[in-house]
Amino acid sequence: MAILEVENLRAKYSARGPEILKGISFEVEDNDFFAIIGPSGAGKSTLIRCINRLIEPTSGDIRLDGTDMLSLDTRALRRKRRHIGMIFQEFNLINRMSVMDNVLSGRLGYVGAIRSIFRVFTNRDIQRALELLERVGLQDHIDKRADQLSGGQRQRVGIARALMQEPNLLLLDEPTSALDPKISREVMELIRTMANELKVPVLCNIHDVQLAKEFCNKIIGLQDGYKMFDGPTETLDQSSLEEIYAMEVL
Amino acid sequence: MQFGIFAVLIGLVLWSVQATVIDDTDWQRIGTLADIGESVAHFIGVDFALIPSLLGPTIETFMIACIGTLLGLVFCVPMIWFGALNVTPFKPVTYPIARVAMTLSRSIHEIVWALIFVSAVGLGAFAGILAIAARSLGFIAKMSAEAIENIDHKPVEAIRAMGGSNLQVMIYAILPQVLPVILGIVIFEWEINIRRSSVLGLVGAGGLGLVFFRQMNTFNYPGVTTVIIAILMLILIGEVVSHYSRKALI
Amino acid sequence: MTMPEKARPDTLRGDDVHREWSRFKYPQTLINYGVLFGILLFFSYSIHYLNIPLERILGMFGRLGDVLANRYYPPDLDYIADTDYLDSVIETVQMAYLGTLFGLTLAIFLGWFAAYNVSPSRKYIYPVARLVAMGCRSVHEMIWAILFVTILGFGLLPGVLALTMFSIGFAGKLFAEEVESIDMGEVEAIRAMGGTNLQVFVFGVFPQVRVAFTGIAIYTWDVAFRAATVVGFVGAGGMGWYLKRNIMQIETERTAAILLSIVVLVVISELISAWARSRVSKAQ
Repeated sequence: MAILEVENLRAKYSARGPEILKGISFEVEDNDFFAIIGPSGAGKSTLIRCINRLIEPTSGDIRLDGTDMLSLDTRALRRKRRHIGMIFQEFNLINRMSVMDNVLSGRLGYVGAIRSIFRVFTNRDIQRALELLERVGLQDHIDKRADQLSGGQRQRVGIARALMQEPNLLLLDEPTSALDPKISREVMELIRTMANELKVPVLCNIHDVQLAKEFCNKIIGLQDGYKMFDGPTETLDQSSLEEIYAMEVL
Repeated sequence: MQFGIFAVLIGLVLWSVQATVIDDTDWQRIGTLADIGESVAHFIGVDFALIPSLLGPTIETFMIACIGTLLGLVFCVPMIWFGALNVTPFKPVTYPIARVAMTLSRSIHEIVWALIFVSAVGLGAFAGILAIAARSLGFIAKMSAEAIENIDHKPVEAIRAMGGSNLQVMIYAILPQVLPVILGIVIFEWEINIRRSSVLGLVGAGGLGLVFFRQMNTFNYPGVTTVIIAILMLILIGEVVSHYSRKALI
Repeated sequence: MTMPEKARPDTLRGDDVHREWSRFKYPQTLINYGVLFGILLFFSYSIHYLNIPLERILGMFGRLGDVLANRYYPPDLDYIADTDYLDSVIETVQMAYLGTLFGLTLAIFLGWFAAYNVSPSRKYIYPVARLVAMGCRSVHEMIWAILFVTILGFGLLPGVLALTMFSIGFAGKLFAEEVESIDMGEVEAIRAMGGTNLQVFVFGVFPQVRVAFTGIAIYTWDVAFRAATVVGFVGAGGMGWYLKRNIMQIETERTAAILLSIVVLVVISELISAWARSRVSKAQ
């Protein structure tokens, strides 16, 4: 069964603005590493953010695990969001806090007010955080401030943080755009490894088509808010690419 | 246009000099340069006998600055909340209230504040503390509100995306960015307040100002110099503490 | 209608290894808490030492409101509409203007001498300039005013001088900081061409800091003007004198009127400053 079903999704930034997404439909399966590609301004980022409603769609259907995302009230949405891990283009870490605290913050959706204020986490959480940090290779940086790390290291903190949520779905918003090519590859490797191991499907908005072809098993291509391509990676050929990117010839 | 402004400025200077220096000054009384030199010479020297009795007022001045700054911070919390465009509860009403309060606080000289409070709560250090608080409130609130307006929204997005409540967003995304800045502002203002506290005694609001006043009235000019030296020492301490603690905050 | 959330099998290699970690790092955490405790101790001691009636603080709002409503209201506006008073207002502005002007002019030199990167002599001129700036800054403008009044008698001249000293310290430090943050490349170019120290300053430094200096000048005016309104309190001319007289005579309604005029003037001055600032940044 598909873990994520999107049907006829439409979205705008503002009520009187132009329509960014013009009726997108696709499905993500349990074991997919799903890529969204397309030129700048095609609506990739908007699409990713509609899934967890950081941007509110204007119409359409989003069903995650059978739950209708768009009908959730604020509280229910918060509870649902804790099962959706998100990794950002610019890492979105709490810069002045330590790496450990950043990773632990992944549990905030599960933690009450008093425990949040005093930063008290269960031993299980702490052990899991330490293990995740080891798996992403940051065990020597646990108590460093997040802003003391390099870009690649920061993204690995982001990965650990997202996985702390024990997510049902990982959303990636151009996770490698701020990193240089070698590090980008390492980060995508790490995400794929961890996602496979923990059996978490991934929906990834990616700018670099080469990376998409290398790591993802399914691709949709957006252009100007429309879906131009939808299918397994192998079937993405030069002519489909030219269709998606219209003016750009890769 | 440039030349016009220049001409106006020069004109103002000439007019002002005419009105103030030339017309208003009682040149007879001032006498010759030699007379002036003699007046200045009176101040040269230190009244050593005065020093023991300076200890109390010096500590009092320092305490007035400390508690006054702290009180100012406590009272300006609502002003910070109202004065930041992104968090103010009801923009058309609360934001202007905050701006007016900040402007009032900064427009009224600390001596004037001291006079107001002396008439309200009587002579002594309490009036001085309130005066310092009232004077600092505006600056701390204005700078802190600006800090809140300038926060990076990326951590906010991250905490929301993982299902964080408003409280958690505040504690994890906003406060870590804002608190160090506010602390720096408070220490900066504290240092200036030491200087301000030293003269509040002139109007009866406690500290070295009163000693200064007495020494002037008894024409003990070396005593005046001694008090000034005590003030300078206090300010030096403030500057050193301020410099190193603000460095540690970065 | 929501379905129950599916539990994800947590297949992280639960390898039963116990890892150590503590939030509290020795000795840093101890020092942090120690400092905090010391500060709190100091504050409680101060409150005790100064006999601050904490319980009165909240009641004081009521008392203050009472005083303001009954004794300070309505403000005696006729009193300030008087020509003599208005003259003193104009004199206050002139005094502030001259004091700031002289002070800023001298402060420009201080900004040069007290800047470590371009000071003509790092061994002698730099420390002296820093000391001068610090000295002028540390002495409160009221103290300057009192000192000058003692030497020169009552009047506007002591006020002008006091504001000059204040501006030298205030603007001098800010100017110096600005100069220290410039791009040294242009400076080196002029030096390499064989320019004298003065030429280096005029052609290498000044063009870079001109705009920032203007902003600092406007800021200095803002603060100096506020001080100018009260230096009359100690005899240095301007509307402050009226303030003192009415307070001594406990003419509270007149005092209220004077305070009102001070606030209005300062707000007008701020508006002009804000306009001037926007003109400067547009002209950039």
